Amino acid sequence: MSFPRPTRVLDCFFFVVLLARISFAQATLEGHVALPKSRFVPVMNQRYEVVTKGGVISVNPPIAVVYLDGSFPKPSSLPVRQMAQKDLAFVPMLLPVQAGTKVEFPNFDNTYHNIFSYSAAKRFDLGRYRSDERPIPSQIFDVAGLVTLRCDIHEHMRGLILVLDTPYFVLSDAEGNYRLGGLPAGHYTLKAWLDSKTTRERPVDLESGATLHLDFP
Amino acid sequence: MISLPKPRESRLPGFRTKLLVAMMLVVSGVTALGLLFAQHKMAADVKHGLQLEFQSQLDALHVAQEVRYAALAELSRTLARKSRIHAALEDDALDLLYPSARDELLDLMGSGDGSPSGTTGQVLHARFYRFLDAHGRVISPQEAKDAGKLAPEEERQLALGPVPDKPQVGYLWRNDRTSGETIDEIIAMPIFSSETGEVIAALVLGFKPVELSGSRAGGEMKSGLCLQGHLHLPPFPGSDRAAIARELARAMAAPNQNENSFVVGVGDAPHLLFYKQLNPGSLFPPANEVCLFPLADSLARQQMLLWEFVAAGALLLLGAFFASNFIAARLSAPVEKLAVDSEENRAQRKRAETALQLTSEELQRSARFSADASHQLKTPVTVLRAGLEELMAGEKLTPAAQEEISTLVHQTLRLTNLIEDLLLLSRMDAGRLRLEFNPVNLTQLIEGWLDDFSARPDDLGLKIETDIPAALGIAGEKRYTSIILQNLLENARKYNCAGGRLRIAARTEGHWAILTVGNTGRAIPPAAQAHIFERFHRGSAGENVPGHGLGLNLARELARLHRGDVRLTRSDDAWTEFEVRLRLAQPGVTPSLPATA
Repeated sequence: MSFPRPTRVLDCFFFVVLLARISFAQATLEGHVALPKSRFVPVMNQRYEVVTKGGVISVNPPIAVVYLDGSFPKPSSLPVRQMAQKDLAFVPMLLPVQAGTKVEFPNFDNTYHNIFSYSAAKRFDLGRYRSDERPIPSQIFDVAGLVTLRCDIHEHMRGLILVLDTPYFVLSDAEGNYRLGGLPAGHYTLKAWLDSKTTRERPVDLESGATLHLDFP
Repeated sequence: MISLPKPRESRLPGFRTKLLVAMMLVVSGVTALGLLFAQHKMAADVKHGLQLEFQSQLDALHVAQEVRYAALAELSRTLARKSRIHAALEDDALDLLYPSARDELLDLMGSGDGSPSGTTGQVLHARFYRFLDAHGRVISPQEAKDAGKLAPEEERQLALGPVPDKPQVGYLWRNDRTSGETIDEIIAMPIFSSETGEVIAALVLGFKPVELSGSRAGGEMKSGLCLQGHLHLPPFPGSDRAAIARELARAMAAPNQNENSFVVGVGDAPHLLFYKQLNPGSLFPPANEVCLFPLADSLARQQMLLWEFVAAGALLLLGAFFASNFIAARLSAPVEKLAVDSEENRAQRKRAETALQLTSEELQRSARFSADASHQLKTPVTVLRAGLEELMAGEKLTPAAQEEISTLVHQTLRLTNLIEDLLLLSRMDAGRLRLEFNPVNLTQLIEGWLDDFSARPDDLGLKIETDIPAALGIAGEKRYTSIILQNLLENARKYNCAGGRLRIAARTEGHWAILTVGNTGRAIPPAAQAHIFERFHRGSAGENVPGHGLGLNLARELARLHRGDVRLTRSDDAWTEFEVRLRLAQPGVTPSLPATA
């Protein structure tokens, strides 16, 4: 039976300390975004509906995407995200991604779907496909902006992909509360996306290890 | 005597002329009225007929438009549901709108060959189509072939303000170098959002207008459109069109003049023009359907008909002239005759009246004479009798002288009776005897006479039979009724034979009381029977029978004054019988008619 070498133990210790240091060095933001009044009673299963009214695309019940704006180095690889079609709806309805992310659109229904977008940020047309389509149809979203996803076959289906240049973003909960951790220290602009025409922003100074409370009235 | 006046000849032709003139006036008045009415009605009928035709054309047009709307409404609903149209409109991808629309429309129409000739416009049977955004602005296609060519100026005319939620109809005037001047019908169909129901866009389609076809009026009807002062009426040259357009503008300037008609001169020919707004209430500029019907033919027909009417009227008047002349003559003939006759009648009546008056005067005179005479006679006779009775009262007279004087006294009594009777008759003749009708008890009168009779010395030994109901009442005046009875009964007694019978019977028959007086004795000879009622007729009675021949006459005259009669009913060897007929007295009814002697 052999014991771990002390150096190994030390290494582990330093690693933990380093981790702790790093995590202490990162700032955290939390707060509340005042969401617009919901037009409908929130449904229990938290499914959202994308609504276009007067040329404004929003989700109902409202939900905000809070993100830290700024220029950050592009990572070499980004995780693949998924936006599924299930029960003739996009799941999730609103998906924030960092620019360059590859999004897959798996079909979990027993019917064809034909996902397309006419949005300026990303125009594409996946054509008709079924659940057994392999590889799963996907697109890489390179340009920041809002992409409205539709299905050519099912007119009511809407999905939103908010392509952001930042890796620091989070969806608020239904009440508008958010918590965004692991942020670098520095001077930035914190933005809250509410709908296609409304993005609120506030300047923010982040200090290492500090937790800042910032509300969007 | 009165002379017969001459009928006023001068007035009669005047009457005839007046009648003729009046009849002619009536006939010509009626003819003129008929003429006027017929012409007016014909003109109105022509106009009404043309109006009906115009209306039916418009109705046909509206039906065609309705069908088109229905199809387009369905199309725009279907389009509005399409994800790609929504995506293009809502996701700010207008550049993809027309290509998407082309794909979707080709898909919808089931004609996916995509050949160059099969543009979407042709699929819709439309000349062009454009989308309007929610603000009514035209979204121009990048490739005109997708949606049909339109000049920028023309495209601007399609724009609307805020897009309405109801289809709008308008017309687009185009002046193309290749196809010349045309007018297209444009229909704007709203596109509703399938989620919120709000109007997000509109689809404007341009069509060749539904053409009105002049059919019944022998293809003479010219129809066109008037749009913003432009008159699209290809069959007419520009100068005429300008003139018509001016007239139209003037007519339409009046408020609420969405439809009307008026007569307009095109060149030299008058035309009846109808117009009606095709798109009332539309946001597009107002457009009017204009129809022109040439009136030349109709006017010529009217003119000819007028001449026919005038000719017929003249003939009618001529006929009426002769007819009224004839009728006037016929009608005035009896009037003229009447006029002459009435003059003659008047003269005759005058003569008759004069004669009547003379006769009446004579009668009066003679009646008065006999009355006067009777009165004058009565006095000396009374004096005579008084003297004779005084003589008889003297005691120195011999029995023979006394006998003589007694005879003389008896004669004066007869004379007195005669004078009384004459007096009565003369009064009756003069018509001066009027009866006061009262109920008279006939039974009582007869019984009174019978009493007197039994009191007198009876040298004949007569046997008297009576058959009289109790209290038989008749209408009369007692004094004169009793004279009738007395005369008849006296006759029956006088002319009886010794030991003979006398029968008095009475009965009622309807309104009549019938009294019969019969006696035995010599029969009245048949030749004499007709004369027994005449005055002073005494038949062949013996000279020993007293009387002066006035009794029966008086009885009959009086009975007739009673509105009854006396007649001889039987006279033979065994029996002579008279019948008196008198009216029964009726309670409450008192005949008081004057006697007409």
